[in-house]
Amino acid sequence: MMRLSAASLRVLALVAVIVLLLGFFASQIEGYLNARLFARISGSVAIMALIATAQTLVILTRNIDLSIGSVLGFTAFAAGALVTAAPGIPPPLLVLACLAIGAGFGAVNGLLVAYARIPSIIVTLATMAIFRSALVEFSDGRSITSDALPAWLTGFPNWPLFTLWGLEFRAAFVAAIAVVVVVHLALTRLRPMRQFYAVGSNPEAAEMAGINAARVVFAAFVLSGLLAGLAGLLFLARFGNITVVAGLGFELKSVAAAVVGGVNIFGGSGSVIGATLGAVLVDLIDTSLVRWQVVSEFWREAVLGALILLAVTIDTLFARRLIAWRAARAHRARERLLAAGAGP
Amino acid sequence: MQPVPALALRGVSKSFGMTLALSDMTLELFPSEVHAVVGEHGAGKSTMIKIMTGIHQPDAGRVEIAGEAVGLHGTKAARLRGVAAIYQEPMVFPDLDVTENIFISATDAGLLLDRRRQRSRAGALIARLGMTLDVDREARGLTLAEQQAVEIARALSQDVRVLIMDEPTASLSAHEAAELRRIARELAASGVAVVYISHRLEEVFEVAHRVTVIRDGRHISTRPVAEVTPQGMIAEMVGRAVGNAAARVPSAAGPEVALSVRGLTRAGVFEDISFDLHRGEILAMAGLIGARRTDVGLALFGIAPATGGSIVCRGAPVRIAAPAEAIGLGIAYVSEDRRKLGLALPLPIRSNITLATLRDYLSPLGLIDRGRERATAMAYRERLAIRAPDVEMAVGVLSGGNQQKVMLAKWLALKPDLLIVDEPTRGIDIGAKAEVHALIRAFVRDGGTALVISSDLPEVLALGDRVLVMREGRQMGIIAAAEATQEGIMALATGQRAAA
Repeated sequence: MMRLSAASLRVLALVAVIVLLLGFFASQIEGYLNARLFARISGSVAIMALIATAQTLVILTRNIDLSIGSVLGFTAFAAGALVTAAPGIPPPLLVLACLAIGAGFGAVNGLLVAYARIPSIIVTLATMAIFRSALVEFSDGRSITSDALPAWLTGFPNWPLFTLWGLEFRAAFVAAIAVVVVVHLALTRLRPMRQFYAVGSNPEAAEMAGINAARVVFAAFVLSGLLAGLAGLLFLARFGNITVVAGLGFELKSVAAAVVGGVNIFGGSGSVIGATLGAVLVDLIDTSLVRWQVVSEFWREAVLGALILLAVTIDTLFARRLIAWRAARAHRARERLLAAGAGP
Repeated sequence: MQPVPALALRGVSKSFGMTLALSDMTLELFPSEVHAVVGEHGAGKSTMIKIMTGIHQPDAGRVEIAGEAVGLHGTKAARLRGVAAIYQEPMVFPDLDVTENIFISATDAGLLLDRRRQRSRAGALIARLGMTLDVDREARGLTLAEQQAVEIARALSQDVRVLIMDEPTASLSAHEAAELRRIARELAASGVAVVYISHRLEEVFEVAHRVTVIRDGRHISTRPVAEVTPQGMIAEMVGRAVGNAAARVPSAAGPEVALSVRGLTRAGVFEDISFDLHRGEILAMAGLIGARRTDVGLALFGIAPATGGSIVCRGAPVRIAAPAEAIGLGIAYVSEDRRKLGLALPLPIRSNITLATLRDYLSPLGLIDRGRERATAMAYRERLAIRAPDVEMAVGVLSGGNQQKVMLAKWLALKPDLLIVDEPTRGIDIGAKAEVHALIRAFVRDGGTALVISSDLPEVLALGDRVLVMREGRQMGIIAAAEATQEGIMALATGQRAAA
C-alpha cells in the first residue's frame, strides 16, 4: 500500500473538490468553462495566493494577521501615488518600495506580538483599523486612477507569457505562483523556516529546544507584511483605480483560503500550496456564484462563511478520528509485542 | 573518574521573590557517571535543572562547564555547551515527524536541510538507543517512552556532554522504565554525564553511581551509591528538623460511614482503591508525584470517572459520572490548581464564593440578588478570616492564602457532606496554612467528612486521622495517625516497604 501523508491527502481532496465544483457549475451555467473563466480566476488568484501565503506564514506560528487587507490597501495606494509622482521609476525599485512598505507594517505587528507579547488577534485587529486610517489620512480622500499609471504596470497582469492547453498564462499569475513555490520550498527545505512549524506546534518545547520563538514570530509577521505589500502592487496593476477601501475584507478571505487549504488555525501544520488551492477554491466559488442565477448576490458572503465552517468541521472531526485510530493501532501493536514475549 | 567535572555548580543561590529556592548549592557532575539527585517536593530540584539548562540565571555562585565558568543565558546557550534535559512530560512537536523533531534545534549544520542525510542519522540515533521507530512518522501519537527517545536522540545529535533526566520514568510502564535506565547507563558508559532525578528510590539504586540528596534548596550529601541505604537517604530527604508540625488534634470520627469505596479503578491510571470514610473524619492521602492521588479525587468528583469498582454513598450504591452528580450527592472538590480549575481570578470575591450556588441567589424574576450574594460573601469573609477590605475586590489581587480561603468558601457554601481538598496549602504562607487547617478541622467537627490529598508530610500527619498512602496508582496501605511517621509514609510511598 502506498502511504500518503495527511498533507498530500488534503491537497488531493482540495483538487478533487475544485474539479467537482467546476463540473457542477459547468452543468448549471451555460458556456461556463472557457478561456475567459481561467483568465478571470487566475487574475484574482494571483493576489489571493499571495495573501493566503502571507496569512499561512503567520498562522503556522499560532498567530493571526487581520491587518493584511489594510497593508495591501495602503501599499497599493502608496505605490500608485509614487508611480504617479515619478512615472519614470524603474520597475524593480517600485517592487522594492512595495516590499519595504509591507515589511514595515509587518514589523510593527511583529514587534507588538513577539516582543510586547500582546495576542496577535488584538494587535492586528487594532492595526487593521490604524493602517486603514493611515491610508485615509495619507490619501487625503483622493483616489489613484488608472490613466495616471504607466502602461507597463497596468499591462503587466494581462501580459500573456505562454499558452498551455488553450489557456493563457499571464504574467501576474505566473509571478504569484512562482512566489508561492519559492515560499513552499523555503518552508520545507530551509532550517530557519522549519522553526515556524516548531513554534506553532509546541511553543514551550520550542523554547526548551533552544529556538528563539520571539524572533520566529517576528519574522513571520515581517514576511506576511512583505507578501501583502507585493499583493498590493499586483492589486494596483490589476485594478488601476485605488480608493481608500482597497483590500477591504481581504483579511477574511486570506484566513478562509488558508483554513480551507488545510492550514491548522492553532498553528504547526499546513502548507502554502494548500493555502493557494484554498484561495483558488474560495475565488472559484466567489466568481461563479455571480453568474449562477439560483443564488442571490447577497448570499456570496454567507457561502464563503459556510465554506470555512465546513472545512474546519470536517478537518477537526477527521483529525480527531485519525489520532484515535492511530493511537488504537499503536496500542494493539504494543499488545502484540508484549504477547509475543518481547516484554517482561 | 576524571578530576575535571563536565558541569559543576559552585555556591549557587537563587530566590524568587521572598522564597529562597536554592541556597549555596554545590554539585559536581563527572563524565561517565549517572548522578542521581533526590529530594522532597520543593527541595529545589527543578530550580537546579533550570539553572543548569540556562532557563534561570543564578543570583550568586557560578556554573562551570569543563572547568570553565560560564554564563548560560537561555536554553540555546546551554545546548551549545552540550547541556540538554529531558522531562517527565516530553517536549516534542506533534506536527513534525520524528526526523524533524530530532534535528529541530541543530545548530551545527548549514541553512539547507538535507533530508536524506538527516533521515539516516535519525535512524542511527534511534538504533543507538536500542529502539525501533519509524523516523518518517509524525510525533503525534507516539508513546511517552518513544517521545523521550526522540528527545534523547535530539540531545545526542548535538554532542551532548551533560544530559539531565527529570523524573523520566514517572509516567512509564515498568518495561519502558527499565529500557530508559539501560539507556541512561549506556550513555554514561559512552562518556556523558547523566543527571538522574527520580523519586523512585529503588530505581536510584539500580541506575546511579553517585547520589546527591538536597533539602530546602541546600546540598545535604553526595555519596557513592554503595555507601547509601534507603533508610539513610529517606532520613536525609525528610530531615530531622521538621518534627515541629502542629500538634495533631484527633477528630471525633463517628461509626457512621459517609462514603465507602471498593476496588475503585480507572483503567491505566489507578486501580483497586478501597477505603471507608466515616462521618467526622479526615482521611489524608499521601504519595509522591505520579502516585495518582489527584486522579482518585477527580474520579470521586466525576471529572474523570472511575471505570471499575463501587462507591456506596450513605448506604446507597452510586455511580458518579459528572461533577453535577457528585455535587448532588453532597461531594465538593477543592482543586489543587487555584488558577486553572479553582477561581475566576478577575471576578470579585463575592462572585467567586457564590459561583457554585448561584441558583440560590435568584430573585423570583430570575435575576441575581446581589444583596443576598453580598451578605453571604461577607459572612464567609468573617468566618474564614479572608483578609480583604471589600468583597468586591478581584480575587486575583489577593495573596495565595486568601485565594485558597475564597475557594474553600465557594465549596463550603454548597454545604457538602464530603469535602475533597487537593493540596490545601500549596504555595501559601505558614500563618494561612494553620488557618486553612483549622477550617478543615472545624468542617469535620460540625459533622462533615474530609479527604485531604497532600504532598506535604507534616500536613498529612497534622490533619489526617488516618493516612492512605498511594504509589503509582496503587494503594500501599492505610496507617492510623497514631502509628504514622514521615519515614513510614515515605517508605510506603517509595515502595521501600510493602503495606503492613
